Amino acid sequence: MKITLYDYSLSGSCYKVRLMLGFLGLEYERRQVDFYPGRQHKTPGFLAINPLGQLPVLEDNGLVLRDAQAILCHLANKYDGDGTWLPRDPASFGPVMMWLMFAGGELMAASSARLHDVMSYDLDIEAARKSARSAFRVLDDHLTHREIDGGTWIMGDHPTVADLACFPYVALSGDGGIGHEEYPAIRNWLREFRKLPGFHAMSGISEYV
Amino acid sequence: MTATTDPVARNEWIAAGWLGQIAPGASHDTMILGQPIRITRTGEDSYRISEIGEDGSEGRELPIQTRYTCIFTTLGDPTRPLPEIHEFDEADRVVVGCGNVGVNTSPYRLVENFLDMAHFSFIHVDTLGATDKTEVLAYRTEHRKDVDEIWAVDCTFFQPAASKAVKGGQMTRYLYRVMSPFSVMLYKNISEDSDRNDAICVFIQPLTETRCLAYMPMAIVDNENTAADIADFQQSIFLQDRVILENQRPALLPLDPTYELPTRADASSIAFRRWLKAMDIRFGIYEKQAA
Amino acid sequence: MAPDQWNAVALDSQIRASSSNPVIVNDYALALWRSASGEVNAWEDRCPHRGMRLSLGFVEGEKLRCIYHGWGYGPDGQCKVIPAHPDLTPPKTICAQRHAVESRYGLIWTNLAEDPHARLPDLGADDGWEAVRSIFLNYAVQDARKAVMDDLVGWNGALSDGDVVTLELPDGTTLAAAFQPVDAGSTGVHFVARGPAVSAEGRHGLARQVVQLRARIENN
Repeated sequence: MKITLYDYSLSGSCYKVRLMLGFLGLEYERRQVDFYPGRQHKTPGFLAINPLGQLPVLEDNGLVLRDAQAILCHLANKYDGDGTWLPRDPASFGPVMMWLMFAGGELMAASSARLHDVMSYDLDIEAARKSARSAFRVLDDHLTHREIDGGTWIMGDHPTVADLACFPYVALSGDGGIGHEEYPAIRNWLREFRKLPGFHAMSGISEYV
Repeated sequence: MTATTDPVARNEWIAAGWLGQIAPGASHDTMILGQPIRITRTGEDSYRISEIGEDGSEGRELPIQTRYTCIFTTLGDPTRPLPEIHEFDEADRVVVGCGNVGVNTSPYRLVENFLDMAHFSFIHVDTLGATDKTEVLAYRTEHRKDVDEIWAVDCTFFQPAASKAVKGGQMTRYLYRVMSPFSVMLYKNISEDSDRNDAICVFIQPLTETRCLAYMPMAIVDNENTAADIADFQQSIFLQDRVILENQRPALLPLDPTYELPTRADASSIAFRRWLKAMDIRFGIYEKQAA
Repeated sequence: MAPDQWNAVALDSQIRASSSNPVIVNDYALALWRSASGEVNAWEDRCPHRGMRLSLGFVEGEKLRCIYHGWGYGPDGQCKVIPAHPDLTPPKTICAQRHAVESRYGLIWTNLAEDPHARLPDLGADDGWEAVRSIFLNYAVQDARKAVMDDLVGWNGALSDGDVVTLELPDGTTLAAAFQPVDAGSTGVHFVARGPAVSAEGRHGLARQVVQLRARIENN
């Protein structure tokens, strides 16, 4: 078995995969991609690996996968013996997929705001922050109801790929000028996630909880 | 904001771009000290910088120097030259630029963070600092009047992984050097040979009083890692600091020593603030409102 | 000078033990932190050392630690730990700015006045109040209050105005809305309830109704 991750340390999407690999205790080889300022992900060499020109990419025994959410599902499907990260029961599978798509969709506005503020990406920053705030509110509303039930995680009584996929860009949103003042349930959820055994931080997220 | 009228700030050289940022023939609009400027790459190695007027037209042309992977300019008549950093001339070093990184705070908060060792154990856990070795040993600061620079010497700190090239923990020796209000660097003694110190700079482009771009050129002794690996390490460190920088209140730097309370570990910050006060710089400084 | 006035700033149940939280009241940033034993503190969100926001810090037992240099502060605001100088007893001058804070009716209240004398709003007995939820509206506090009142008029129940707006529901449940002036364009509204409808099921229902209230106000 050999796993290779095409990785950039500051990418929240790559961080999703690093977290999953860490939680599952999997060894992997890291291929450093010069995302900024080199834009290596847009070079012909990298486009041959991922024609979308995006990070991360995972190679697992010859299987080449792009899209952080797809990679999380692949890793959980193949390597999580307990099946807790990717629940298969009919009551959980759908909701977990729903929030997973939300992580790769609506929540990515927070990533855009971060790229603007940190790496001077030319985009409408106010629109990005507004979209991110709308998405955060949807998540905070959901987690508020989970709190009423005494729940901590997005679905069920343990963290799933949905929590994992939503975590990075919510936790890193301050980098894009989006604070957590208006999202008390999100704050509590982030803190619990950071306390998970096997959790490790990345730049922009504190090691101390 | 409009362009600052502060003559002290205007008379400094300021980084405004990095080599490779602009394609030949293209131009890039940015800002220094509140003044919009346009950088045009007129040839492979030649640039023109002009102020941009309120009507969007190019006005006064500004001086240019390209060094240390950056493009420097000034709004005034610089009283000091660009610093000499001979490590960048040594052919066997890896010189890395890292582009620039945006930070929403005043330029001096960046300088102070760069001078600070006491945060290593909290912000750079397992690389520049260990959670159980937090002590900052005494070091000395000097105002070198011949070059009008602030130095911190005899600095040491225990580091679990001092650079991309180092395996295992060590007491790392540092020399810090503040060359201007907007530029700072360190010499980091990784190997036994003190002539082979890593040189790491931060040149700051103040867009406004509370918005900056940071350039981090480095001249590193490393035969193993690629420039991309070294840049990744440095960017990772810098984004750990960036969270701190954007969450200091106020963003402007207070010079009143009773408003923010230092200890011995802050000797370099104390020297830096005194130096700023003595040069009477106003741009980016916090003037506490009368009670 | 801050007015001598109590403002609800959070639901008590959402400020967890061993947590530090960012809260803004009248443009003033607070670190609202709860120690391991449950004591709530409302401090200026600024470490006296280098201005770092303490809401990004972490709680260790009964101390709040600043994330920048790890300085540790006791509940009295005094700095007790400076990790850069492990053998140093921090001078008394190093002290965080504390503010009056109370936990009552399931809400956390702060008063930023230097010498507060005002009394907390009176909602009767303190026991039995349960969290419903908080919402944030993009209005100044007086407009937010009016919008909430105008909406609650349409609910089935008896409405009373006051520092805290209350609504007596037909089943005998009291729904209370307390206002947090954040800044000129934002207000927090914290809803708690007391009475028969405070079961988990009842709170889900009330929380959903509050979300609908928010949507109606924003669509106006």
